[in-house]
Amino acid sequence: MALKVVIKKEKVDDARPRQSARDDDKTEIEARILELLRKYPKGINDKILETHMPNLDIQIRVDVINDLLTKKKMKLFQAPGTNELFWGLNEQPVSIKLKEVDKEENVVMRIIEEAGNKGILNKDIRDQSGLNLTTINKILKALEGKNLIKSVLSISVAKIKVYMLFDLQPDRSVTGGSWYTDGEFESELVDIVNQQCYRMLQQKAEAAKLKAMDGPLIVRNASFLSSKEICQMISDMNIVKFNLTVEEIEAILETLVYDGKIEMRMVSDGDERIKTYRIVETLLSSAAIVRIPCGVCPVIKICGTAGEVQPKNCVYYDQWLD
Amino acid sequence: MEKLSAKSDHIYLGEAIVKKALAVMIQHNLVKFQASERNNNVAEYTMIHHNVYCLIRYPKYLYMIKRIYGTSEEILLEILLNLGQASASNVIFHSANRLNEANDSEVLSPSALHQSFQRLAQDNFIIRCPKLAENATLLKVPTLEIEEKEKFAVPNVEIEPIARMLKEKATQLGGHCDSEIIWRVNHERFDIELRNVILVNAAARRVDTTAGELYHLILKLWRESSNPDSPVTTPVSYNVIKDAVRKNDSSPILLEHFDHYLRVLYEDSAGLIDRAGDAGGGQFNLDYSKVFENLACASLDSIVLERFGSKALRLFRLTRIQKFMEQDQMQNVAMIPAKEAKMFTYKLLEHNFLQIKELKKGTSNFAPVKSFILYHVELPQVVRTTLEASYKGLFNAMVRQMHDLTENQRLLEKHAMLESMLERLKGDGVPDEEIAELSDTMPPAEKSLVEKIHLMSDNLTLGQTQADETILILESYLKFKSKEL
Repeated sequence: MALKVVIKKEKVDDARPRQSARDDDKTEIEARILELLRKYPKGINDKILETHMPNLDIQIRVDVINDLLTKKKMKLFQAPGTNELFWGLNEQPVSIKLKEVDKEENVVMRIIEEAGNKGILNKDIRDQSGLNLTTINKILKALEGKNLIKSVLSISVAKIKVYMLFDLQPDRSVTGGSWYTDGEFESELVDIVNQQCYRMLQQKAEAAKLKAMDGPLIVRNASFLSSKEICQMISDMNIVKFNLTVEEIEAILETLVYDGKIEMRMVSDGDERIKTYRIVETLLSSAAIVRIPCGVCPVIKICGTAGEVQPKNCVYYDQWLD
Repeated sequence: MEKLSAKSDHIYLGEAIVKKALAVMIQHNLVKFQASERNNNVAEYTMIHHNVYCLIRYPKYLYMIKRIYGTSEEILLEILLNLGQASASNVIFHSANRLNEANDSEVLSPSALHQSFQRLAQDNFIIRCPKLAENATLLKVPTLEIEEKEKFAVPNVEIEPIARMLKEKATQLGGHCDSEIIWRVNHERFDIELRNVILVNAAARRVDTTAGELYHLILKLWRESSNPDSPVTTPVSYNVIKDAVRKNDSSPILLEHFDHYLRVLYEDSAGLIDRAGDAGGGQFNLDYSKVFENLACASLDSIVLERFGSKALRLFRLTRIQKFMEQDQMQNVAMIPAKEAKMFTYKLLEHNFLQIKELKKGTSNFAPVKSFILYHVELPQVVRTTLEASYKGLFNAMVRQMHDLTENQRLLEKHAMLESMLERLKGDGVPDEEIAELSDTMPPAEKSLVEKIHLMSDNLTLGQTQADETILILESYLKFKSKEL
């Protein structure tokens, strides 16, 4: 009968990939659904959606609703009476809250960065930022967890922690240099280094005495050691695991000067003046009075010719005379 | 100052005994008299504290004289110390007697002793006592005076009467030509000598023994040229010192390295020699106040070390050198743990080695103001406290010695009697068994107890001498410090 008429249709741009079509549709549909949600604040259900958007493919509708749910722009809830499922608009997006917390963290981070090597106390952070102390503590914990900052025990303010950026080396004034570990003063280490320095100077002095035939000036000048040399010798001995700087050795040598065992003299070596040290003998071997018990008696103040403490029955004299 | 009648009233001993006691003390230079200000006819008596104190130093004097000169001078001095004040002939006579008793073989001629006497006077170890003033006989209370140039002038002594008396084995010399010229021991000179010993020892410790020798020579030069009362000696030039060293027959090392030794001594921080100028190759003098300050500090350091420990010593020296320190600074610079540093600081404060000075920080009128608490060492005060403690220590040693001896007096007397009896019998030639029998009357336990008591007494005497040494240093510091001001 009739010929099969093949009507050459224009290729409609239906040949666009279905995805992008769906995407465009999706955003349009999202917008419409959100509009609807805003229009009906009490919530909409499937029925309303169908009446407003009759041409909607179910699959597309499901996808869009899922998207909105994950983006938390709408929520699902049950009507109290009928237990029917309703969709509602989600008022407060959580992301805005996150942004506020980030701001505080940034402020704190900036303050800590400014503090640099020396670090900063948490009450100082509060003063500078004007935030609440508990908030700050929370933020600090969070930042520490993220390994952005670290806390260091400060020696100057007895066991109080100071915060600084993670990769910075704490300044000497905070950790106290090599003599402090974890905020504790290492007196044994100091004593050991002390004795070593003293012994080295003694050896130098004895070596110098062998040159006695050359005269006392030679002997004296030969018994000096500079602080750099001592530092080198101590480092060679490997008593301490880390290297001691010249300043630290000079601090130890200064304590020896205050012990009265050595003396210091500045010598100009080229352009700079360096400190040299040598052993000295005290002017007296010992004050003569300490050789009798009264010289070192702890109760000398109350000793007298009458009363409990008398020289006649003095316990210290009894011990001394035996 | 007391009048004679006042003294008798106080003491209830009777005027005659009081007079005699005063006379003895005046004879031994322990008491002096002068006319009272209110009433010229009455004498007032004052004690010379220093001379009384020097009684304890007599053994040291004898040892020093023996070391510097020899036995005959030592005996001369001993006799003079025993007599208090005596004329030259008297002293020579008694010394000759003593020496002859000691060694019968040699008889010492009095002229040799006369020369020894002159040596002692030349070096000012003995001094002439003031004599009666011209109008003295007119006054009830005589005045005594002596001229500067006569103080050490030895008069001519007639040897023959002395030699004659000695031959006759007389015990008293009788009248002699110079009986008006009376001598006594010069304590100030001995003080200088004792101080010099301490200084020379310090120099020997600081450098070496040769330096000690050099320093000894230089001290002699200073003493000869300076006024003994001034706190700084007159400068002595390099050339003079060098001459003295050459003349003195010193060790070859000293001659060879003389320059170096001098340099090491004057560059030393103890202040044993100060370079005062460049004339004559260099002028050198000694500032007593500086060197005795260092010695006094060394004594205090030693006392703090023995009483409290080395950490306390570090804190003490630190505070003294840096003048004013806060507690935190002290523990940081001294590198001592905080707790220990605090403990030692407060201990030193408690025993008055450290003093506190408070400075207020704010100026508020209302709220309590925080203050700086600074620790410092007030050296004269600490030295005075320690000096008092040293006097007390010396006194305690003497009391203890007296107590020990009186407690066991009976035993000691018995032992002494036994010993003298044994000596006599031995001298008479009694056989040994009888002597042994007699000595057995005293059981060995008692003998060992007597030994022990003697040993204790000797130790206590030595202890007193030691205390005296520290007292000398501290007293000298205070004396020169007050002079410099």
